[in-house]
Amino acid sequence: MKPFFYWCICILSFAIIPLNAQSKYTLSGTISEEKSNETLIGVNIIFPEISAGTTTNEYGFYSITVPEGTYKIVISYIGYSTISQTITLTKDITKNFSLIDTLESLDEIIITEKIEKLNIRTPQMSVTKLTSGTIKDIPVVLGESDIIKAITLLPGVTSAGEGASGFNVRGGAADQNLILLDEAIIYNSSHLFGFFSVFNPDAIKDLKLYKGGIPARYGGRVSSVLDIYQKEGNSKEFHVNGGIGIVSSRLLAEGPIKKDKGSFLLGGRSSYAHLFLPLFDVDNKAYFYDLNTKLSYKLNDNNNIYLSGYFGRDVFKIEDTFENTYGNSVINFRWNHLFSNKLFSNLSLIYSDYYYNLRLNFVEFDWVSGIKNLNLKYDFKHYLSNKIKLQYGINSIYYRFNPGEIKPTVESSGINPFKLTDKYAFENAIYLDAEHKVSDKLTFSYGLRISNFIRLGQDELNIYEDDQAVLFNDDFKIYEKAEPIGIAYYKRSNVIESFHNFEPRASLSYQLNAKSSIKMSYNRMAQYIHLLSNTSSPTPLDIWTPSGKFVKPQLLDQYAIGYFKNFNDTTYSLEIESFYKNVENRIDYIDGADLIANNAIEQVILNGKSRAYGLEILLRKNEGRFKGWLAYTLSKSEQQTPGRTANELGINNGYWYNTAFDKTHDISLTSSYQWNDKWKISSNFLFQTGQPATFPNSQYDYNGLNIPNYSDRNSNRLPAYHRLDIALNYTPKPNKHKGWQGEWVFGFYNIYNRRNAASISFAKNETTRVNEATRLSIFGIVPSISYNFKL
Amino acid sequence: MRKIVIIFILGLLVTSCEDVIDIDLNTAEPRLVIDASILWIKDTAGSSQIIHLTLTAPYFNDTIPVATGATVTVTDSKNTVFNFIEDGSSGRYFNDTFTPLKNEEYTLNILYKNETYLATETMTSVVPIDYIEQKNDGGFSGEDIEIKAYYTDPENEKNFYLFDFFVVDRETASLEVYDDEFTNGNEIFAFYSNEDLKTGDNLIIRNSGISERTYEFFNILLQQTDEDSGDPFQTQPATVRGNCVNQTNPDNYPLGYFKVSEVDVFTYVVQ
Repeated sequence: MKPFFYWCICILSFAIIPLNAQSKYTLSGTISEEKSNETLIGVNIIFPEISAGTTTNEYGFYSITVPEGTYKIVISYIGYSTISQTITLTKDITKNFSLIDTLESLDEIIITEKIEKLNIRTPQMSVTKLTSGTIKDIPVVLGESDIIKAITLLPGVTSAGEGASGFNVRGGAADQNLILLDEAIIYNSSHLFGFFSVFNPDAIKDLKLYKGGIPARYGGRVSSVLDIYQKEGNSKEFHVNGGIGIVSSRLLAEGPIKKDKGSFLLGGRSSYAHLFLPLFDVDNKAYFYDLNTKLSYKLNDNNNIYLSGYFGRDVFKIEDTFENTYGNSVINFRWNHLFSNKLFSNLSLIYSDYYYNLRLNFVEFDWVSGIKNLNLKYDFKHYLSNKIKLQYGINSIYYRFNPGEIKPTVESSGINPFKLTDKYAFENAIYLDAEHKVSDKLTFSYGLRISNFIRLGQDELNIYEDDQAVLFNDDFKIYEKAEPIGIAYYKRSNVIESFHNFEPRASLSYQLNAKSSIKMSYNRMAQYIHLLSNTSSPTPLDIWTPSGKFVKPQLLDQYAIGYFKNFNDTTYSLEIESFYKNVENRIDYIDGADLIANNAIEQVILNGKSRAYGLEILLRKNEGRFKGWLAYTLSKSEQQTPGRTANELGINNGYWYNTAFDKTHDISLTSSYQWNDKWKISSNFLFQTGQPATFPNSQYDYNGLNIPNYSDRNSNRLPAYHRLDIALNYTPKPNKHKGWQGEWVFGFYNIYNRRNAASISFAKNETTRVNEATRLSIFGIVPSISYNFKL
Repeated sequence: MRKIVIIFILGLLVTSCEDVIDIDLNTAEPRLVIDASILWIKDTAGSSQIIHLTLTAPYFNDTIPVATGATVTVTDSKNTVFNFIEDGSSGRYFNDTFTPLKNEEYTLNILYKNETYLATETMTSVVPIDYIEQKNDGGFSGEDIEIKAYYTDPENEKNFYLFDFFVVDRETASLEVYDDEFTNGNEIFAFYSNEDLKTGDNLIIRNSGISERTYEFFNILLQQTDEDSGDPFQTQPATVRGNCVNQTNPDNYPLGYFKVSEVDVFTYVVQ
């Protein structure tokens, strides 16, 4: 590890030295949308004559340093008209640009200057960027556009299944995805058990999904990073937009607090309370709501502050017998400061909280669990030269885990109040990322994250003989809980266990010609907190647990290689990537492990490992009336939990077995066609190999019961999953850009009514006394209609 | 608790539908299944005991083959041997001279097809069912009959219970296991609710004392026999290994279990 670090420093110093040879000047500033002052992320700023360029960061800031001279610069961004102008740099210049939406600039001359597309040049690979516009084009179930549904159409990303929350990236588990909303960690990304994601599409500006080659500024999860930024709000004019659908409605207001200086954004969504009413003929409720807020204020040219918040809850209620409430809340303060025109900084202070409550009145039982954390981040982007860009920073997260608290709901209840021991931890990291343009053709990016995790003292911790919390019963060939031999008591300031990891990241891109490039990447990542879940899909009940004495941090090594090509003036693009990854210390559970209200989770956990490999192909058509993409993934995802000694069986006799999210083939075809100004049709088609499942291989009778005897874990598969969705958008007055603008969306989910199996269950039919296999399919054809408006 | 939530979640999926499908399954080699429960009903001699031996069958077969011609004995710690004699070739092995003792350790020995199977278990005593409470507006729908069988958990020990609610009229049984982790020393109830339950139904409620190991076994076993098994929220199903070991050929392990329990029986007519 150390040689790598020295090597980085060495390369850097070589790169920095020549800077002083010639006088160079910096052009920097912010790029925003003309009408709203909303900053734009990922705008290209190109100096075509010297083939230099940069892009705006997450806060719309750019900085580029070039030798003294007069240059043509081109500023371009998809969906906006391109700016082309000449600039003379004889000193450092700060210049802000405003881009105009092409829809509203049809009369203007659109510059068709050949601009060099940067995407094939930057070494960043395995990343997909979606704007809210693209996401809104994708038809989804019940007429609500949805971020998580959109990203599952990309290669390497699959959904955990209909009616299941979460998504899986490159054969990774759902808890291995780092989901950031305005830099704050979101622990549960779904509403209504996965029917909707928690992200209000109207409030979202931009998202990036990193599947591999993950930069050192991200850490803490081993599979992917979904980085989502909310809009700041319009600082010029007051606007309202919203939508009314059959399931939910939403409303978002934005406007200036002080013109061109400060803005607010307030968005709310709610589903209708009696959505799933037909369940029983009784009083029951199932709904969600969420609230997105943001205040932005530009103190001066060098300082911006942001205060943003998210609050969401799902509520289920059946009469007075059952009540379930859960959701995320996040509050986030950020301060952007420009130390110089080359050094951009962002300080974030984030509080986030996941709350879960279950109240079962008929068994007089009340349960609360959750996770709270306080997160401090200080990130710097340092635009050293036109050849080198550095990003570095520190991050510190304080966690408090509440694995559960049980209370009786009535005084006479037979339930004793019980509090599972709270767990505390500190996660710290420092990182350095460098993007280094070695030559016109070769760009390197390398970085190192040093992470550290401290499991802090908790009230009680079990002690086991030889630290073995799980025992193998050699007679019965089963794993059993070990009986603790004592209890240790700690002060909060004690360190129970600490870990640190060096996480090198490296990627390079080599440009073969003006249109194509190859890229390679390697990343090592550590994950210190784990979601306890032994179901095949995550449910909101799942509980996070920190690494410690018995659960080791997950460690990932991922290698990827890819080929990227633009065709026909970037109208088409092709991306082919192949990856291999290996995760150490992936936990699995002993048979029958009960994870709920378990104060000694270590007694049911075994450490294993997982691996995944695959090939991804993405062909996109980026422009024109007909747009869309075809994604194909061929992959394998496996897990192994061998015995700790020669006698032990491990899980599945220690052999590799499929993870629950191993899908050999995954094809998705997403397209939209702009028929004319008023009508647009869009569709997506999905095909996936059936999800692994465990079926019985025999039956027997015992104690009056008929028992299906199951075969090895995940050795069978559900039937293949496929469906076609279609949506029609109708804009009655397409040329109206002021005042009330409306749009109708008519959608059909699963238009050919395929009964995709969410699961297959095996049981004896009570009436016929015959064993049966029963398929559960969640969505047949679902028509929907919604009306969206802007004001 | 998890199960309750699961049922609820599934109920939510209103547009969902269930249908019976044909599916090809692999079939494993037959294994011996040992259904051996020594039950000592409170206030009885407990001299009549029965052990069933069967084999596993392909999942969709209508019949379960019996294991006949085995030699079955149960031995206590004083080396008293109780021979279990097969009734014809029924796979049912009987003993009418059994003498149960509290906290006694018993060893089951089966010789079947030249392989010897052994299991050991201790007689676990149980507290009686104190009384039954009936509610007619219970269950999830608020319309089902709900039965609570109250018992008082002893405070100074870990206790595990196997409850069996048997509806005589329809010959349906519902099994639940309970531990006392959150209810230690309290008066607490076992819970039963079924939409088919109606006034006049005869219920036989049996509460068996079981060991921790037996509790774990039933806990896993019952998860796999839920009507909702295989749903996306359940735990991973697996082969459930019991406490009987094949001494001759450990790889040819048997299924089933040898349990030895004191049992309290309560009969109740639904009001």
